[in-house]
Amino acid sequence: MVERDHGRQLADTVLDNLKYQHDWTELQILTHSPTNSELFMRPMVSGLPPRRLYVHPDDQIAMLKSSANPDGKILDTPEVEWVLPTHISEKWTLKKFAAVFDSLPAQLSAHPDRPKRIVLATIHGDSTIVYYLLHDGLVKPRQN
Amino acid sequence: MASLSSDERPLVRVSKVAGRYLLFDIEDVMYLRRNYNICSVFVGTIPQNPQQNLFMGLPLELMPEEAQVLVEKKVACVIDDATFHLNRLAAFDELSRRAYVQSLNNQGKQMQMAVIESQNRNKLNQQGKSKKKKKMSKTDLEEPKDMSSNNDVNGPIEADESNILFDSTPTTPKPTVKLPVEVEGYLLTPTTSSFLLPSSPRPGLDSSATVDIPASYPLFAHLHDKGYYMMPGLRFGCDYNVYPGDPLRFHSHFAGVHFGWDEEITMMDLVGGGRLGTSVKKGYLIGGAVVEDPDIKDTDTDTGHSNSRDQVNNQSRLKGGPVAPPVRTFCLEWAGM
Repeated sequence: MVERDHGRQLADTVLDNLKYQHDWTELQILTHSPTNSELFMRPMVSGLPPRRLYVHPDDQIAMLKSSANPDGKILDTPEVEWVLPTHISEKWTLKKFAAVFDSLPAQLSAHPDRPKRIVLATIHGDSTIVYYLLHDGLVKPRQN
Repeated sequence: MASLSSDERPLVRVSKVAGRYLLFDIEDVMYLRRNYNICSVFVGTIPQNPQQNLFMGLPLELMPEEAQVLVEKKVACVIDDATFHLNRLAAFDELSRRAYVQSLNNQGKQMQMAVIESQNRNKLNQQGKSKKKKKMSKTDLEEPKDMSSNNDVNGPIEADESNILFDSTPTTPKPTVKLPVEVEGYLLTPTTSSFLLPSSPRPGLDSSATVDIPASYPLFAHLHDKGYYMMPGLRFGCDYNVYPGDPLRFHSHFAGVHFGWDEEITMMDLVGGGRLGTSVKKGYLIGGAVVEDPDIKDTDTDTGHSNSRDQVNNQSRLKGGPVAPPVRTFCLEWAGM
């Protein structure tokens, strides 16, 4: 019960931060997996960022090659992201990360075969929140 | 040796010396780098310049993980050099002992002949040059530079025309040795002990010494199976720098850190690693061997990983096939917000 409240509070904080600082829309807190409607290990936040948060390096290369859309307009449409709220004082394990990924649906993008991806939000005591992309498997880094 | 296909090539001999896994044969080093993604680190100083430590030479020191992965892929065997050499040397009878010494002597002689030959060739070239020079300026016949160039060569002289020109210099005509068959030969110290190895019964996998592998071995083996090249990770504060190809051609993609399946990971480590990795254009890779809960069956969401497990079961007999236990990996990148 304490764990549930803790997770809920983290999710609320992250949702507020995404909404007011990062202009995300369609935000909601999910407590149950959409695939098998089992209870998540902790509540997760899903939402739509104002612009594309992540472009796979293969897509980056494809964009560079195709001169037709030099600005990459096609890939500027945002995708729904799943955010896992955590606190800096927590200890996670590979097993817990694996459980989180296993309870998530496959990637909704045009490439369902690519490894799943979540946004890892880590909250500090001073209410700073940092966001990291966590991939389920070996995904080469982006060219930036 | 390098031209042999991988099937007929005998097992690479990894020498275990004082807990280190060393390769002394450059053929083996090249073979492993080309075919088995093993780069590792040269640790030998160069005899001509032993004070510097930027350019190291043989031997190559393998990480224990690399030695183990090669043993498991049936590519190499690890031999404890101290015991092996004592056993092997004691096993020599007088005849083969003499044959071995004789072969060393022969090699030394061949080496010295080759050196003399190349000296002769150099001298001929030099003489040709100096003659040309003399045609241009006959006046400075007794130029000290020419004298010294002629004197410091102590090898046999092919033709003494140039000495005639130097009649003022007190050169004693040296005995011209056309083909120096009578050389006593250099005393060679072989850099590998391949002459000592038994020719017919190659050391097999069963004679392999144990490898003290670190806990991070499953992650290493998993990445190695996938064709990545690993280098020690000190530079980026991780267990392995993971390269998508030969490090001479590619930047590394990941800074890999191993964790146990139930080992606690502090969030600060993830944030710090992810941030560092992103700032050097890498992903921060965490991973470790999966420990199955005995009561949980494989679900559909896990198919990718159970596939790799089947491959392990089917192909572990094959040379160079995958050997890693089921491993799960995660990559972390800064989200840029």
